[in-house]
Amino acid sequence: MSLKNYVITRIVLAVPMVFILLALIFLILRIIPGDPVLAILGGKAPKEVIEQKRHELGLDKPIVVQFFDYIGDLLRGDLGKSTLTGRPIWDEIKERFPATLELTLFSFVIAVLVGIFWGSFAAYRRDSGVDIGARMFSMVMYAVPVFWFGLMIQYVFGVVLRWLPVGGRISPTIDLKVITGIYSIDALLTGNWQALKDVFEHLFLPGLTLGLVISSIFVRMVRNNTVLTLAQDFVKAARARGLKERVVLFRYALKNALVPIFTMMGLQFALLLGGAVLTETTFSWPGLGSYLVMKIRYRDFPAIQGTVVFFAVIVVVISILVDVINALIDPRVRY
Amino acid sequence: MRKLVWLFLILAVTLSFAAKDIIVVGTTDKIRTLDPANCYDYFSSNILQNVMVGLVDYEVGTSNLKPVLAERWEVDETGKVYTFYLRKDAKFEDGTPIDAHVFKYSFDRVMRLNGDPAFLLSDVVEKTEVVNDYTFRVTLKYPFSAFVSVLGYTVAYPVNPKVYPADSFYEGIPSASGPYKIKEWIRDVRIVLEANPNYFGEKPKTKTIVINFYESASTLRLALETGEIDVAYRHLDPRDIIDLEGREDIVVYKGNSPQIRYLVINVTQPPFNKVKVRQALAYAVNRSVIVEDVFAGLAKPLYSMIPEGMWGHKNVFPERDLEKAKALLKEAGYDEKNPLVIDLWYTPTHYGTTEADVAQVLKESFEETGVIKVNLKYAEWSTYVEYFLNGTMGLFLLGWYPDYLDPDDYVWPFLSESGAKSLGSFYANPEVEELMIEARKLTDQKEREEIYYKVQEILARDVPYIPLWQGVATCAAKKQVKGILLEPTQIFRYYILYWEE
Repeated sequence: MSLKNYVITRIVLAVPMVFILLALIFLILRIIPGDPVLAILGGKAPKEVIEQKRHELGLDKPIVVQFFDYIGDLLRGDLGKSTLTGRPIWDEIKERFPATLELTLFSFVIAVLVGIFWGSFAAYRRDSGVDIGARMFSMVMYAVPVFWFGLMIQYVFGVVLRWLPVGGRISPTIDLKVITGIYSIDALLTGNWQALKDVFEHLFLPGLTLGLVISSIFVRMVRNNTVLTLAQDFVKAARARGLKERVVLFRYALKNALVPIFTMMGLQFALLLGGAVLTETTFSWPGLGSYLVMKIRYRDFPAIQGTVVFFAVIVVVISILVDVINALIDPRVRY
Repeated sequence: MRKLVWLFLILAVTLSFAAKDIIVVGTTDKIRTLDPANCYDYFSSNILQNVMVGLVDYEVGTSNLKPVLAERWEVDETGKVYTFYLRKDAKFEDGTPIDAHVFKYSFDRVMRLNGDPAFLLSDVVEKTEVVNDYTFRVTLKYPFSAFVSVLGYTVAYPVNPKVYPADSFYEGIPSASGPYKIKEWIRDVRIVLEANPNYFGEKPKTKTIVINFYESASTLRLALETGEIDVAYRHLDPRDIIDLEGREDIVVYKGNSPQIRYLVINVTQPPFNKVKVRQALAYAVNRSVIVEDVFAGLAKPLYSMIPEGMWGHKNVFPERDLEKAKALLKEAGYDEKNPLVIDLWYTPTHYGTTEADVAQVLKESFEETGVIKVNLKYAEWSTYVEYFLNGTMGLFLLGWYPDYLDPDDYVWPFLSESGAKSLGSFYANPEVEELMIEARKLTDQKEREEIYYKVQEILARDVPYIPLWQGVATCAAKKQVKGILLEPTQIFRYYILYWEE
């Protein structure tokens, strides 16, 4: 199969996948107990008000009708309105997503840097202190709950040392013109250096928390793959030619070890977007993760469905991109 | 060089004074909407209470109503027609005068749009009229003496017709009529309030208030400790409050809160349909353990549904008496050999992190009789509401924030037949209903008070609810921030906050 056909097949297959996911979410939300109108109004409002609100939201229609209404709206590009705020879901996602993206990118950079450098160095110095440290690190960080690690980091750097802020995206007193919603980019675009410094200060602790937790997987994978690659003939040949160890490690061993890791990184990035929920809650990061948690609490059906569909589309797009890049890097990966 | 040093010093002093023009407040609450026609949650109302004004407001620090946009008002002899004479100098942020036309537009809009709080007006208002530019008249469906209290709530605040659409809710930034206007609002991140130059009243003591939103109580506490915020208002955990009390640079404020918490008993469900069982539970409940152990003293035991500090309140429920509880249970047919087995329901997050502890303490206090066995059950909030409306739960924990500060709001929603249904007790007593309607018609506070005493006595006899405790409002702030007032009305006024070095 040619690359073009392969990509088209993947995209075509993605559509029913998202549709099935959507149908499942739709069904689950309506099967589990809990009514969005009651979650908002409690028992205080009179019965007629509750009934009218339910009617306005279309929740009094049969599930099948509700589902097809929803799909119809979705095909027209309308994600619906939040039952909690009455605002279009798409507007709310647009407001929240840049925060999650910024945190995810920052954490990803930390995770990749720590993963590649520590992992490859540990492989190179196999069974040394660095290697044992790497293995210990990946084991502990993988097991540690993100919110606990986040709280510890907040306590040490925020409360005890007072170096960094513990929550939010920007100091309350700093004015920043929002253009893209990614504050670090906005600060750069407007040349607001004070804001840029402040944004990075706010980004550091949640980014480090999420980045280190994710890096545990990378450290282990890079280490193990590099260990295997270092034992291969082409590495031995490179060494035999008298190349410097640095060149052997980075140009020969690591480059080859990275191919399977790259796939893993792509998938991790997609998962990171959704997996930032706990970090966002711990650090009061106003992203899509904490948004989803809040909406689940209020049974805000359209908002939960919209967010899940949005995440699903991102995961699908990223996994297709990863496969395409993989296929380009490694010609053996043609299906 | 010396000149430069002086210049630097002057600049530094100026900057330090300039910095005092701003106070940063942190909260874990969220803003849902800033349209008074749809606003029915605490924090959204609280913002509106600082950027808008109504016909009446509460005197600072008290629960007494005073005229604000209304200079005065008259009620006719039928008790149904209210005529408000408006002040002539009130304007919105953009200079639009706040006159009788604006009021008619706003009241009619609330009732037409039928948002979450609209029933507070539409249940009682028959029609609205513009008598002249500055005279506004409201005719009620029936005499309702607490009507002026309802006007103190944000649902009755006038909105700018140039900004708020007539046929749909408004999602943007409100057109201010109060001490502050909104300079910036990034949802769930921060809201910036700035002194409103067009406000007719006293200027706010601090020019700018920034309100920062946090996701959790622990981050809110850390933000206060690290100095990122100056005031932490809603919601710190009770244990955090106790910890913060020990710090020299932070002051913890406590105030009366009209919030009450209680147990609801579904009087139609066996075994709770036996009044002796309900009375026994009222004797067995241990309020002091809840207040001291769970809330570390940051709550007050409550012995009536009308909170302490409000006129009409009377302690009617008994103090704990296990022997009396056992005797009542025996009369109802239960003893150690044939214990009463009941389910006690709670909802884990809606009322904060302490709820599971409260349920556990209640279980223990009932089981101490040796005659009751309690199974603890819980459901997430939206399910919980469904369960109590359907009558699924027999005994469960619930809480109440008033819509208007009047004893009526603490008895009518609970004891009227329709109210009791919507709160899951399914209690119905025509005698109580008649008494409450009578109280609604009267305007004399003394006469109304006598009726509410009677209503409370019947409540303690029939026990469809067991009042447990009354909240204590808390706030923690840097020592230098002054003007923090936790009022019985629950209105947090940002415009009286100021710095003092």
